[in-house]
Amino acid sequence: MLKLEHAAVMTLVALCVAAPSSTVWAQEVEKSEEGVEKGEEEVDGGEEDVGGGEEEDQGPLLPEGMTLDEVLDRAEKPAPEDFPDPVPDDQFRFFLLVDQLEYRYDLEDEPDQVGTELQGYVGGDYNRLWLKSEGEAGWQGDAGFEGESENDLVYGRLISPFWHAQIGAQYANEWTEDKYEDIWAGALALQGLAPGMFELDASLYVTQNLNMLADLEAEYDIRITQRLVFQPRVELSFAAQDIEERGIGVGLTKVVGDLRLRYEVLREFAPYVGARYQGLTFETADLAEAEGEDTSRFFVLGGVRFAVY
Amino acid sequence: MSRRSFVKGAAAGLAGLAISPSLQAKSKPKGVAGNFSVLDASKPGGIDLYIERKDLLIDGKVGRPITINGSIPGPVIRMKEGREALMRVHNRLGESTSIHWHGMLVPFNMDGVPGISFPGIDPGETFTYKFDVRQNGTYWYHSHTGLQEQLGHYGQLIVEPEDDDPVDYDVEHTIVLSDWTFEDPTTAFKKLKTMEGYYNFQRPTIANLDDQVKATDKGLMEVIGKRLNWDWMRMDPTDIADITGSTYTYLLNGRSARENPTFTAEPGQKVRFRITNAATMSYFDFRIPGLPMTVVNADGQNVEPVETDELRIAVAETYDVVVTLPDDKAYTVFAEAMDRSGYARGTLAPKEGMAAKVPELRRRPMLTMADMGMVHGSMKMAKKAMGGEMEMAKPVKYEAHDEAKVSPIKNRTELPVKDLPTMVEHGPDEHGPGSITMAKNAYRQFDEPGVGLGDDNRRVLSYGQLKVLETPKDRRPPTREINLHLTGNMHQYIWGFNGKKWSESQMIRFKYGERLRINMINDTMMNHPIHLHGMWMDLYVGHEYGKNPRKHTVNVQPAELLTVDITADAPGQWAFHCHLLYHMKAGMFRTVAVVRDLEGEPIDAEA
Repeated sequence: MLKLEHAAVMTLVALCVAAPSSTVWAQEVEKSEEGVEKGEEEVDGGEEDVGGGEEEDQGPLLPEGMTLDEVLDRAEKPAPEDFPDPVPDDQFRFFLLVDQLEYRYDLEDEPDQVGTELQGYVGGDYNRLWLKSEGEAGWQGDAGFEGESENDLVYGRLISPFWHAQIGAQYANEWTEDKYEDIWAGALALQGLAPGMFELDASLYVTQNLNMLADLEAEYDIRITQRLVFQPRVELSFAAQDIEERGIGVGLTKVVGDLRLRYEVLREFAPYVGARYQGLTFETADLAEAEGEDTSRFFVLGGVRFAVY
Repeated sequence: MSRRSFVKGAAAGLAGLAISPSLQAKSKPKGVAGNFSVLDASKPGGIDLYIERKDLLIDGKVGRPITINGSIPGPVIRMKEGREALMRVHNRLGESTSIHWHGMLVPFNMDGVPGISFPGIDPGETFTYKFDVRQNGTYWYHSHTGLQEQLGHYGQLIVEPEDDDPVDYDVEHTIVLSDWTFEDPTTAFKKLKTMEGYYNFQRPTIANLDDQVKATDKGLMEVIGKRLNWDWMRMDPTDIADITGSTYTYLLNGRSARENPTFTAEPGQKVRFRITNAATMSYFDFRIPGLPMTVVNADGQNVEPVETDELRIAVAETYDVVVTLPDDKAYTVFAEAMDRSGYARGTLAPKEGMAAKVPELRRRPMLTMADMGMVHGSMKMAKKAMGGEMEMAKPVKYEAHDEAKVSPIKNRTELPVKDLPTMVEHGPDEHGPGSITMAKNAYRQFDEPGVGLGDDNRRVLSYGQLKVLETPKDRRPPTREINLHLTGNMHQYIWGFNGKKWSESQMIRFKYGERLRINMINDTMMNHPIHLHGMWMDLYVGHEYGKNPRKHTVNVQPAELLTVDITADAPGQWAFHCHLLYHMKAGMFRTVAVVRDLEGEPIDAEA
C-alpha cells in the first residue's frame, strides 16, 4: 500500500510540470462527488473545457425496481451462485504430439528399426500432467523381436513464460524374445523454449538402484517454406557412474543426431524423411566393443508427425 | 436528411445485397448469408429477436452460423434517442446465449454479459431487454457467451438522434465487417492454445528472404541478422494476427469479396457509411480507392469532420464516413485484413452489377524493434516521442495496479490533463509466467497509423485526428489513476492484465461518481482493442481536454502507452476486456465494480 502511494506521489511529481490551480479544483470535485452521492449528479461548470452538455442530466441508469443504494450494494458482492464465469479461462485441455512415428532403415548390416517419440499432457495453462515416451524396436534376425522404451510421467508447472519444471517418474524397459527387464527412476526435468528458438528438454533420473542418469534433447525448426520444415535434433545421454549390467559407463554415454525434413500438410499432420546417426561414446562404447557390438549406426528414415487434441 | 431518404437508401442497400444469379442457382435449397432486415426497437411493443442455428450459404458454401432472425449479420436494429428500446430475445439454440449492446449506456442488468449482468438466456427461454436510450450514433450488438460471436451472432445498431443530425448526407449504408470460419471455434481456440503460429502462413522462411528484404528495406545479411535476433527473443515478427485468411473468409454484410455486395447512390449524392468491425480477431484497413472519406463519427460519437484516404478499424470499433459519389462509375469498398492475408470487399456504384478494379493486397508488414519499445533502435519513434526533437524523452515509471489493494484517497488532487508523459519505462515486475514482457518502454502512439500503414502516400486516420464535435458534460480532471499492463504469453496463449487472467484476478473497483484515469501499457507485441462496458473512455490524444475523443473501444498498439479518463457514473458491475474474442476467452478480462466507496476510504469524505 505504502509503495503504491509512494509510486502515485512520484508519478504525480513527475507529471505536474505545470501544476493546475489545485485548490479551486479540489473544491469543485468534492462538490460534484457529494452531488453524485445524493444521486443527483451535478453538472459542474468549472473551467472552459468542461463542456456544454449534449445530454440532460437524468441520473444514473438503474435496473427496474432497484434503488441506487441497492445497486451499489449489489456491486460490492461477488456474482450470484447461478451466474456462470464470464470467461472460463482456466479450462483443462488434452494435447498429444507424436513427434516421431517412423521406420529406420539401417545403412549397414544391422537390422532396421521402428521408432516412436511422443509427448502429451492434460491440464491447464500452469499445471499439467505430462507423458513423454520414446521407444524403438526391430527384428533381430533369429533373435526375434527386440525393443526398448523410456516413459516419463511427470507433473509440470510453468515457472516462467517459456519453461516447465517437471517432477515425476520414469519407467524404462528392454525386451528380447526371452527376456524382459525394466527399471523405475525418479525424474526431474526442465522443458521449454530456449533463446534462439531451441526446444529443449533436460531430464535428470535417479534409478531404483540409486544410479544417476541424465538426458538432454534439443531441436530446432528451420522453415524453408511455409510448410516445409527442416529440423536438426540432438540427444545426449549421460551417466554419473558405471552401470555394468546395463552396459553403461560413466560420462557421456550416447549421442543421437537426427535430421528430418517434414512437410506440414496440416500443422498437425506432417510426413517426413530424414537420417539418423546414433553412437555410443567413451566408456560405454568400450563396453559395447568388448561385447562385440557395433558402437555406431546410421539410418535413413521416413515417418509421420501428428498431433491429437 | 429526411427519414424518407434514409428509407430509400436502406432499401437500395438491401436490394444491393441481392445475390448473383450463379450463386442463386447453386443455393436454391438454402438461404444465403447477408439477407438481413431493419427493425425499429423504439416502436411501441418493441421487437422480437430469434437466435437460431441455421444452414446458410456463406461464400457459396454451406455453413452453420448462429443467426438472428434468420440472418448473419443479424438485423440492423434502429432506436430513437430519448425513447425506450424493447427487445425480446428468444433463444432457440441448444445452449445458453446473450446479447450485449456494444457501446450503449444501460442499467447493468441489461448489459448482456453472462456472469456479470445476468446468468445468460437458457435454451428455449426469452429475455426481455428494456432501457431508456440516452445517446445516439452507430453501435452494434453481439453475443457475450462463449465463442458465439465467431459464428455470426452480431449486427449493427443505429440510434437516431433526438435533435438534428449534424452530419450532412443523402443516403446511408450499413457496413458490418466480420471474419467467418467453417471451423468449430472451439477447435480454433484449442489450436491457438497448443500449436503456436498455427494459422500464420506468412512467416519468415528461407524461401521468402527476398520478400523480407523488401518488407524491411534492409540488406540480406541484415535481414538474416535480424531474423536470428528475433529467434533469440523467441518472437515472430510476422505475428500480426492470431487467426488469418488461412481459415477466415472475410465478410462485408455477410458477403464474401467475390460475392461483391453493392451499395447504390446517385452521382453527386453524399453517402454515409456506418462501419462496424464485428470481426472476432481481424483488424481491417478500410478505403475506397479514388474517393476521399470524411470521418464524421467514431464509436457512435460525432467528431469534427476529418478527411482521410484510409482508416484502420480495430475489432469492435465503429466509424461513420461520408463520401461523395462523383460520377456514374463504380468504386471498390476495400477492407484489407491487417496481416494482408485476405480482404472483404464491396462496391459503391450508381446501379447494380457494376464493379471497379479490386486493389492488390499489400505486402504483409513485419514488426520492428520499435514495436517492442526499443527506443534506441528507432529514430522515428524517438523523434515521435519528442515531438520532433532529437533529445530522448525521459521515461517515467508506472507501477502495475494491484487489484487486491485499493489505496485510500485521502487527499485527492487533480491529475494533469495536458502534456502527459510521452514514455513510460517498464518496472522490474515481469508479471510472472503469464507474461512475456517485450516492451521495455511504452510510448504514446496516438499519431502513429499502426504497423503496415502510412508508407504509401495515403492519408491514414490516427486517433490524434479525432476531436469530439461537442464536449461531453463531464470533463473534470481525474483524481485517481490505475496503471494497467496489457500482458500475454503468446507462446502458451495466455492473455491477461498485469500478468493475470480473469480467474486469477479480483474486481477493479471504481468509486461511484469519481473521475479516474487508466494508463494502459501494452507489454505485448500485438494490438489489443480494449473495451469498457457501461461507461465512456475519454481518450487522451493531446488536444484541449474538452476535445479529446470519447470511445467505448480503444486500440492499444504494441508498446503503446495509452491513457483514458472515465467518469464512474454507472453503478453496478461491468466487463472490461480485450475484444479479440480468443484473447478474452484466454483471460484478458476484468470485472469492474462501480461501488459506493473504495476500501479504506470513508463513505462521507468529511467524516
